[in-house]
Amino acid sequence: MSAVALPKAARPRLSIGPAVIVAGATLIVFIYSLPYIYLLLTSFKPANDVLQIPPSFFPARVSLENYAAVLANPSIPPAFGNSLLVAVGSTLLSLLLAVPAAYGASFFRTRLSGWFLLFALVTRMVPSVSLGLPLFSLMRTLGLLDTPLALILAHTTISLPLAIWMLAAFFESVPSELEEAARIDGCSRFGALIRVILPVVTGGIAITALFAFIASWNEFLYALLLTSQRATTAPIMISQFKTAYGLSWGPMTAIAVLYSAPVILVSLVLQKQIVGGLTFGAVKG
Amino acid sequence: MIGAARYTIPARRSLSQTRFATLMMAPAMLFLGVMVAYPIILLVTNSFFHVELLKPAARAWIGLDNYLKVLSSGRLADAAGRTLRYTVFALFFELVFGFMAALLFNAIGARSRWHRTVFALPLMVSPIVAGILWRFLLIDQVGIINYALAGLHLIPDPSAISWLGNADIVLYAVSFPDIWLTTSFVALVVFAGLQNIPRDLIEAARIDGAGAIQRFLLVTLPLLRPVIAVVLIVRGVDAAKTFDLIWIQTEGGPNFQSEVLSMNIYQRMIRYGDVGQASATAALFLAVMLVLAVLSYRFIWGRTRSV
Repeated sequence: MSAVALPKAARPRLSIGPAVIVAGATLIVFIYSLPYIYLLLTSFKPANDVLQIPPSFFPARVSLENYAAVLANPSIPPAFGNSLLVAVGSTLLSLLLAVPAAYGASFFRTRLSGWFLLFALVTRMVPSVSLGLPLFSLMRTLGLLDTPLALILAHTTISLPLAIWMLAAFFESVPSELEEAARIDGCSRFGALIRVILPVVTGGIAITALFAFIASWNEFLYALLLTSQRATTAPIMISQFKTAYGLSWGPMTAIAVLYSAPVILVSLVLQKQIVGGLTFGAVKG
Repeated sequence: MIGAARYTIPARRSLSQTRFATLMMAPAMLFLGVMVAYPIILLVTNSFFHVELLKPAARAWIGLDNYLKVLSSGRLADAAGRTLRYTVFALFFELVFGFMAALLFNAIGARSRWHRTVFALPLMVSPIVAGILWRFLLIDQVGIINYALAGLHLIPDPSAISWLGNADIVLYAVSFPDIWLTTSFVALVVFAGLQNIPRDLIEAARIDGAGAIQRFLLVTLPLLRPVIAVVLIVRGVDAAKTFDLIWIQTEGGPNFQSEVLSMNIYQRMIRYGDVGQASATAALFLAVMLVLAVLSYRFIWGRTRSV
């Protein structure tokens, strides 16, 4: 987990001055972040200035017009509400299923657990459209189309395998003596998990929950297939700003900021854990 | 604690380890069975039927007809070719840019903390937002990128390039937000890999007289192989199944020139209402992806082990 956060004391000898490299890196990072900064600045322009010719990087006047237009649209707040409901629902469901499953699969190595982890990994390779099509048929048969429940279930097919793999890695870092000690003290196997093991991995569970939440919050294709009106989520609403209302770029930049800024702020605060969560599988090899 | 473990007396109510592990995995297995395995069986079943979206009850068994039709359809072959070109193009630039950034961060070490913080921000940004943003940057007539290029005299005037309207370049232009979003993922994963390389190995190569480029090619790169493998597989799969990022920019247009496989399947299902053909295409796509993933896994890990 902490591989990223551990800078080594000695650095390679540099032939170019270190200051030049730092300056170069700073320039690259600045250019890299320019597109998002531009989006942010554009969202605060008056709607008429958004497509002005020639385009200007900074707003000539700061205005909340675009945000007002977005919030005044009666279908936007419910869409954000649906996104939140579905993301929370699928996060809770995937944790409820993944915590015991990852514990069972990684703490007690059985033949089944190997197959189980492999199946969870293979699920990640399935193109969303290949699963989305039959899920549409299934949800129609069950009468669940255009309900948040359908989307919660669909998004859990993405977040559950992810959560199983992340949590399995966290459980593996817990020494097995801890479980044995708890059992000697009279805990059942399940009691040992709840009372002794879980408190040790709360950090891991929190970061897994964040990944599951964002996977659902950002998901588009299942939402497009499985919802039409009542259960529509924010990304679908954003894409319809394009089609149904013509190209109203001003409100579109505002809604894109409203949709992405919370995620970016969370990423900023939890940067170390997120980078760790994304990279630990890779660097372990 | 370790000493005590030797005297472990199994608690009275205790289950065997295997049974307990199975019990713990059972709910998740049930869920994946009902929501992943069963739908995939349903997908394969549907691919042998003529089913229309609006009349799901009227099903007719037609054997391999759907497969024969889609495999002989030029539009599918085109979409598959585009998916491949898109994936290779996006992956190539993500790796090149990601590697450059990671090496740069590694060279300045601890002082790159702030740089890496900024670089981590796009990790969680949705492809929808990236797609909208780049569509806005590249928009015909008023896009700021064309104005910047014209200002630098790289193009004669701001309307010289229609990034998303020109059928010849649109497939590559729609990958810009993908490259923008994912370069940071590659950079941070490779950086973590670089930090894990024992310093004495590189130092030893230096003492033996290896130059900077030799050290990179002969020591660093081979040691990074598992990291590169993971990045290639994870990102390759993601790029090949891209839907939302391209959909939000062009919906596959103009003239289908940015229609990739996911989109081709979606259109067969929703626009043309042909569940059977859409299912056959989706099943083929799924099979190819799984085979590719298994092959690349075998190839990369098999060779790593023998090294």
